Amino acid sequence: MSLNTFEGPTDGELVRRARKGEELAFCKLVERYQRPAYAVALSVTGRHEDAQDAAQESFLVALARLEECRSPERFGGWLMTIVRNRSKNLVRRESLRATDEVPPATRSRVPTPDRIAETRELRGLLKKALMDLPEVQRQIVLLHDLEGWKHREIADRLDLPCGTVRSHLHFARKALKHALEHVPGVPEMMRAAR
Amino acid sequence: MNRDWNDSVETDDLGRDRDLAEALFHLDPASQDPKYWPRFRTWVMNGATLELARRRMITQMTVGDVVHSWARALVPTALLAAVLAGILLWRVGSVPPMTVEELLISEIQGETIPMMASPARSFEAVTFASEAF
Repeated sequence: MSLNTFEGPTDGELVRRARKGEELAFCKLVERYQRPAYAVALSVTGRHEDAQDAAQESFLVALARLEECRSPERFGGWLMTIVRNRSKNLVRRESLRATDEVPPATRSRVPTPDRIAETRELRGLLKKALMDLPEVQRQIVLLHDLEGWKHREIADRLDLPCGTVRSHLHFARKALKHALEHVPGVPEMMRAAR
Repeated sequence: MNRDWNDSVETDDLGRDRDLAEALFHLDPASQDPKYWPRFRTWVMNGATLELARRRMITQMTVGDVVHSWARALVPTALLAAVLAGILLWRVGSVPPMTVEELLISEIQGETIPMMASPARSFEAVTFASEAF
């Protein structure tokens, strides 16, 4: 079973080229996995800045340890393990930090103050609802419903049985919807934010 | 969200929950800043420059380069070792040579067995045995 469902060269091929220092190959790997890495980091840290730091650092750690990736075709799963570990370390180190800032570039782009408030509020509620889920469910729902990974891809990369992924996704969605539907105004806010 | 969800119909994938996916999209930094991911990539690539250059250098090294890099450290070390060995040999050469017998008994306190057992001494078996063993 090929793990590569992306267009273009396989992960294995890109890893082998990146090992030789080929910039384009590594850039392609970053492009391919930046969103899933961020999603996994966010599912652990629950904070944008921490997730961003953990995801970015994980790519650099992965590059430095590329020889340790024994199955280049499974680069995605290997990278996600690094992301999870770094995110957990970050949470441990910065457990006292409580601020949750929006990326600086986003602050001036949102059209109206009402929209800012709504989007921020919705983001905050989503994060809260997500953080109430078990970590594995957070990862699965973000990888599936945000990043568009299929069950099989998630199962391969998180090293879980396909049925477990499906079951986690089902419960995560149910819990998220339940949490969000019972917050006054959120269903309307979700519709308005589209 | 950059993937095609249509093929989920053909598999056992639960498929996309459109409402939830759209809500979760607000957690994607690109929902607020479309240039977020290119910037993210640039940051990572900037951080990776040195490591990638190191890897390229290792890959591009020829046998000659390896020998040359070895030689740079090896030749001075070998020269230094040769000079030290020469000095040691020169110093050893200035000391008068010793015979094997002299070497064997040098720095040994008291009499050696051959001297004790020499015919000049009165032979006493008990004394010999107690001293020798």
